[in-house]
Amino acid sequence: MKKWITGSMALMVVGSVVAGCGNNEESGGEDKVLRIAMGSPGEAMIAVWEEIADEFESANPGVTVEYTFQDDDTYQTVGLPNLLSGNNAPDLYFEWAGERLYNRINDGFAADITTQLEESGLGDMFAEGSYNGMTVDGKTYMIPTAGDVTNVIFYNKQVFDELGIGEPQTWAEFLAACEAVKASGMTPITVGNLDLWTAGNWIGHLLSRVVGEDAYSNALQLEEPFQSDDFVQAYTLVQELWDRGYVNDNINAISDSESDMLFLNGQAAMHPIGSWLVPTALEEAPELEMGYFNLPTIEGGKGDQGSVIGVLNGMVVNAKSSMTDEAIAFMQLYSSDESSAKLSAAGAVPITTTGLDRDNTPELSIRLNDLLAEAPTVVAPPDTGYSIEVANALNTATSQVIGGAKSPADALKQLEETVAPLKK
Amino acid sequence: MLRKASPYLFALPAVLVFAFTILVPIVMTFAFSFYDWNGYGEMRFIGLDNYDRALHDRIYLSSYTHIFIYIAATVVLEVLVGLGLAGLITMGRKGSSLFRVALFTPVMLPMIVVSFLWRFVYNSDFGLINTVLRAVGLDSWTQVWLGNPDTALLAICFVSGWVYAGFYMTIFYSGIQRISKDVYESAYLDGAHEGHIFFRIKVPMIRGLVKTGIMLCVLTGFQSFDLFYVMTNGGPYNSTEIVPTYLVKVVFSHMSTGYGSALAVILTLVIAALGLLANKLGRKGDALEY
Amino acid sequence: MASLPTDLNHRLTSFDQGLTSAKRRKWRSHTLYYLVMVAISCGTFYPLIWLLLSSFRENRDIFMAPFALPEQLNFHNWAEAWRIGNMSTYAKNSVLVTSVTLICILLFASLAAFALSKLKFRGSGLLMLLFAFGLFMPLQSFFIAQSYIFEQLHLKDSYMGLILPYTGVGLPLAIFLLKAYLDSIPKDLMEAARMDGCGDFTLFSRIVLPLLMPSLATVGIFSALNTWNELLLAMLYIQTDALKTIPVGLLAFSSRYMTDYKLLFSALALITLPMIVVYVFFHRYIVAGLTEGAIK
Repeated sequence: MKKWITGSMALMVVGSVVAGCGNNEESGGEDKVLRIAMGSPGEAMIAVWEEIADEFESANPGVTVEYTFQDDDTYQTVGLPNLLSGNNAPDLYFEWAGERLYNRINDGFAADITTQLEESGLGDMFAEGSYNGMTVDGKTYMIPTAGDVTNVIFYNKQVFDELGIGEPQTWAEFLAACEAVKASGMTPITVGNLDLWTAGNWIGHLLSRVVGEDAYSNALQLEEPFQSDDFVQAYTLVQELWDRGYVNDNINAISDSESDMLFLNGQAAMHPIGSWLVPTALEEAPELEMGYFNLPTIEGGKGDQGSVIGVLNGMVVNAKSSMTDEAIAFMQLYSSDESSAKLSAAGAVPITTTGLDRDNTPELSIRLNDLLAEAPTVVAPPDTGYSIEVANALNTATSQVIGGAKSPADALKQLEETVAPLKK
Repeated sequence: MLRKASPYLFALPAVLVFAFTILVPIVMTFAFSFYDWNGYGEMRFIGLDNYDRALHDRIYLSSYTHIFIYIAATVVLEVLVGLGLAGLITMGRKGSSLFRVALFTPVMLPMIVVSFLWRFVYNSDFGLINTVLRAVGLDSWTQVWLGNPDTALLAICFVSGWVYAGFYMTIFYSGIQRISKDVYESAYLDGAHEGHIFFRIKVPMIRGLVKTGIMLCVLTGFQSFDLFYVMTNGGPYNSTEIVPTYLVKVVFSHMSTGYGSALAVILTLVIAALGLLANKLGRKGDALEY
Repeated sequence: MASLPTDLNHRLTSFDQGLTSAKRRKWRSHTLYYLVMVAISCGTFYPLIWLLLSSFRENRDIFMAPFALPEQLNFHNWAEAWRIGNMSTYAKNSVLVTSVTLICILLFASLAAFALSKLKFRGSGLLMLLFAFGLFMPLQSFFIAQSYIFEQLHLKDSYMGLILPYTGVGLPLAIFLLKAYLDSIPKDLMEAARMDGCGDFTLFSRIVLPLLMPSLATVGIFSALNTWNELLLAMLYIQTDALKTIPVGLLAFSSRYMTDYKLLFSALALITLPMIVVYVFFHRYIVAGLTEGAIK
């Protein structure tokens, strides 16, 4: 769940071919097959999924569980639609809450599981807030599996301590921190924006803070223009970051993972990215003391200054599946505390109310989890919350401003031109 | 009876494969272009709306500008440089065949390898180019080559030249080899120097071949994908977006199959028009050699 | 010159004096010529040498001191890239896809070229026109619908899903080249064979095919390299790791190990080296195949 829409199709290795992909039709006999599809969650997680499948199969004789793990970028773009329209469509599949789920519902691929959730008790295993973006007209279409804070600003504690900087609370403090780091000869902020979604998420959050969540959301749905004073004002803050030399000069030339490495190698003091950095950091740079702070408050901003940018995801039951009950039963098993413990051990952060093992989960992950759970307002990232074409256009404008290629007004003007043909 | 059918039987496998993999898809792409369709859901007929949208699509239109810049640059960096190299290796100096074989090497490498290699060469932190510049004290010349819209496209063109200059060189070399020795000898007797021989004899004698080379460079320029996809994927700020990279985004990331089809049809028409034009021009000129 | 040891200096001067001015000019132009050629060759090869050297080093060294030589020729990186990168699988797939595609192209194209060149039949003009059309068409003009068709027919994620389109793309050019060659063969030969009672098929297998061998080599080299290096379709049609060819495999590998430079450099070197070896041994045929294939 580490990555999502990159807009590009850079394909990733599925690591192992453990789970023979899709075409294994050996299961003879009368067995019913429960097909489950998702982007590859990584080898450790795949092992847990397999374990849960074995458990499920022994508890439900006559049902075989079959996984399709595609690499993430493929799954998000061509992969899932192809699977859904194919002959062996999955009964249960991974999706993001919000706009992407709504599209599945519109296309008739998501089952209304409100009653099943109630009757089975599965529905009560999650907090109310975990269903954000999963319900339409009071009907629930998804079983939550995880939540990701898609952007906070991670920082190198050692650097901050040496320079006597605290966690900035306001934008002014944030700029002061950048200045102090820069004065020490280090790059203050590193972002790898080659695929546009990294700065897109971060600055998307900033936009929502300045222009207000409604204006942000409406603009992304093309109901209000991007060209407004508020957007210009927000982008002016972004422009400042480039003009003052606070972000890496190769921001639009390197990928997110290259940027992760710059930060983890101690070559930059701050790195705005999502919660998935925590496990990467523990693996790649265990000695690094890392902290994080949410986007600092922006004075005069029209949005909720305590908002968190994040996205929930979960599993959807295919409306065309004949195995709804089995799918629900499987997810009940997946959401049990026993399974949660296994998931935690594999590095995931379970979303069930009782599943989080607070003693054995990295402290940063727990804090990030709580940040999302307790957020007064959750802002959806452009690329998962809205139409990908509009999101790409906005993220391009963001990359132009943060990369110093265009002034806020020019970038927004061009953005309007780009999205103009999309308005119907 | 069999006699009569046999020509068809001979042609059949080729025709079947060709029709199935190319002709039918071209026709279907044309049909798709009139629909609003995401590739799997419901198809909605919308007439020419997709084409109208294409003509207002800033990124799509600019991708043509980029491809034309790329083609113009590669005609210089590949064909003209190749021509110059061909002149150099046909001066009759010892060891020039070794250079000829050596300079052809990059053509052998898979484009994907070339793309990654040069991505590293251009890397702003540890890349070859910036390191060399720093080493010779030209720090101010260092650039984020692929992250700067002013340099990214040209950087890609340069790589293309690195690969294919040797290729065109080889083509022109074989042309120059066929020029009769007598022509040179009389020129040498007249005391002509190498530059003179190159511009007055070699180039005019293989003019037809040079034209063919330019045509080849233009038409294959439209097919470029790997270099752009791996090195920048259209970025920064769509400044290296070309039709093929944009098409892949529109169809497989935005899931706009209908719209993407319209973009593909327009591209097909543009190439067909250019092909016909090139054919006409080729006929007009002296298409004698080769 | 002043700083040179005196006897060398002396020898050089006398050498210089011994030459007539014309000879000296020639000598200078020779030196200049070789300097230029060596400079150009260095420009061509330096990135490759840098790739090779970097593949022996550690990430931190690549990052911190890009220019230094590796401390030792450490093939550990190569072994690791080969293993982690699944390269043997990709190589196997590439060999398989390329060889089957090659056989299909050569067989189908020579059959068709024979019919189009030596057997008169209705519709042959139209066929030539269609293949000429195919010669110009870029992948982009058909891959959208092709992808859809392959999806419906479950051809994606299978070797056939690559072999079919690669054959289709390679056929027009192959047919043109082979037909052009057959057109240049005098009719008498065929007539004589027919007089002896040869049927069309015997004529093809006994006479035409052997005659075509040199042209088949040209077409084969051209098609094989194109197939070997194809990225776009392979990327769109193959999702299963076990079926990926080298270009897509490398793409997958790189996006996963983007920051593990030593592994990536090693993987690139691993793929590049065999190609260069093949080139060194067969350069004559390869150069001929590629240039003739492209120009005609």
